[in-house]
Amino acid sequence: MEAHTKMNDVQSTIVTVIEQLLERSNKSDIQVSLDSPIHGDGLGLDSLETAELSAILEDEFGTDPFGAGLMPETVAEIADYYIEGDGSNASVPA
Amino acid sequence: MIELLRRAAERDSASVAMIAENGTWTYAALADEAETLAHGLQDAGLERFAIVSNDIPLVVALLAASSLVGAEACVYAPDISPAELDRQAAAFAHDVVVSDRTDLGDPSVAVVRPADLRKAGPALDVLPERRPLLVLTTGSTGTPKGVRHEWSRQLARMESARDGSGQVWLLAYGPQQFAGLQVLIHVLGTGATLVAPSVRRPQAVLDLIHEHRVDHISATPTFWRFLLAEFRADDRPVPELRQITLGGEAAPGSLLEELRATFPAARVSHIYAGSEFGSTGSVRDGVDGLPASLLEESDDAEVSLKIVDGELWVRSTAGMLGYHGEDDRPAGEWWPTGDLVEVVGDRIAFRGRKTDVINVGGVKVHPLPVEERVAAVPGVRIARVYGRANPLVGAVVAVDVVTDEGVDERELKSAVRTACADLPRPWQPRSIQVVQELEMKENKVIRGGVAEG
Repeated sequence: MEAHTKMNDVQSTIVTVIEQLLERSNKSDIQVSLDSPIHGDGLGLDSLETAELSAILEDEFGTDPFGAGLMPETVAEIADYYIEGDGSNASVPA
Repeated sequence: MIELLRRAAERDSASVAMIAENGTWTYAALADEAETLAHGLQDAGLERFAIVSNDIPLVVALLAASSLVGAEACVYAPDISPAELDRQAAAFAHDVVVSDRTDLGDPSVAVVRPADLRKAGPALDVLPERRPLLVLTTGSTGTPKGVRHEWSRQLARMESARDGSGQVWLLAYGPQQFAGLQVLIHVLGTGATLVAPSVRRPQAVLDLIHEHRVDHISATPTFWRFLLAEFRADDRPVPELRQITLGGEAAPGSLLEELRATFPAARVSHIYAGSEFGSTGSVRDGVDGLPASLLEESDDAEVSLKIVDGELWVRSTAGMLGYHGEDDRPAGEWWPTGDLVEVVGDRIAFRGRKTDVINVGGVKVHPLPVEERVAAVPGVRIARVYGRANPLVGAVVAVDVVTDEGVDERELKSAVRTACADLPRPWQPRSIQVVQELEMKENKVIRGGVAEG
């Protein structure tokens, strides 16, 4: 139950952060869900927007999956980095 | 230096050269003190020495004394730690430091007390042919470089200086800084009066400015920004400044406007100078940047400028002889300043330091234009733009801001983004942090961050 709460908190923070980022990029019409792909037809974040997301996540959680060498493809995968690996303990894929 | 003191003393022996916390010095008294110390330097056989003191009249008297006997003086930071003193003394081969500080412990360098250098002797009327001076550059990290200068070159421009008696200047730079030396030379070379505080921060000098009716101030743009904030927060009417001089950093247009609005009677000028190439003089039109007309080369000009690959180069008759431990540089040498510039209309506009360039995914971003936009946002007291390392694009543009009290952080961040919205996308800040204070060194903002590789 505690893990569920934690997961929701992390996911909801990440979704909020991404919604604010999209709003600033004049893409507030895009719906953000856990399944949303970060790039392409999903959220459509370009390199600069992804770089900004990386900085915001680092500010928010002290670490971020991009900085850890990961390349998450969906919002859920970003959240998983913090939930499964507890952020700072996330493993780097081969 | 001694000739400046003597000239002003001859004009009016009672005119006040310096006002410091431990007393007021006339030009005549300061010239006498310098001559007394000069005899002491000769007696002690000191040909090179460091100075560690926050007693500015003493520092000036020692500099003047050294210029009288041809000894090479070098002013260290007045608050230097004993460990750093040892490091710098070793780096610049100083065996002796003249200091009135009692907290230096037991440094490896010999400490000579100023009182022990006060000796009587016959008048010293003939200036030596060689009169060296060592100035330390103010690197933001590590041991500074020693820059060898010659007093006669530094003082040449004061030969035809106008009489500045009656003007009251504030020393807002440290005596060890090249800019501080320039202020000393200018004020003492014009016979004006210098108020020399022991703490040279905006908050600390406010009372002195009012008490001594300071009407001329030369300082960094960062110092001016904070001084303006102090004046705004102070109940007293703002002092009637007649001269505002900016130097040491690029002067943003927004700051110049604010200074003009706050001090409508003041002349606003800025000085472009560097420890290596000397001062290129004062730009008095109150407009940001330098006149592009300075780029028109003339072989006999005291100062010439040119732009090579976007970087400003200077050739000056007041330039250094060379670095400490190195041979003299060739005469008339062009010097790369490290300042990136662009000609816009009839001005040379500064774009930032070469080492400050932020590489955002291969796009070179100059922090200054971004910083100017952010600094102009209402509620921003001061801003620092730098490169923040980023795993995806190498670096992103980051901003640290110190805000006025009561400013809504969310609204401010939004306003900062709006202010930068017209910039190319890589130039737009991707990280905005509200901080309590910016990291400073000698009243200049340290940009640091990720430099271009």
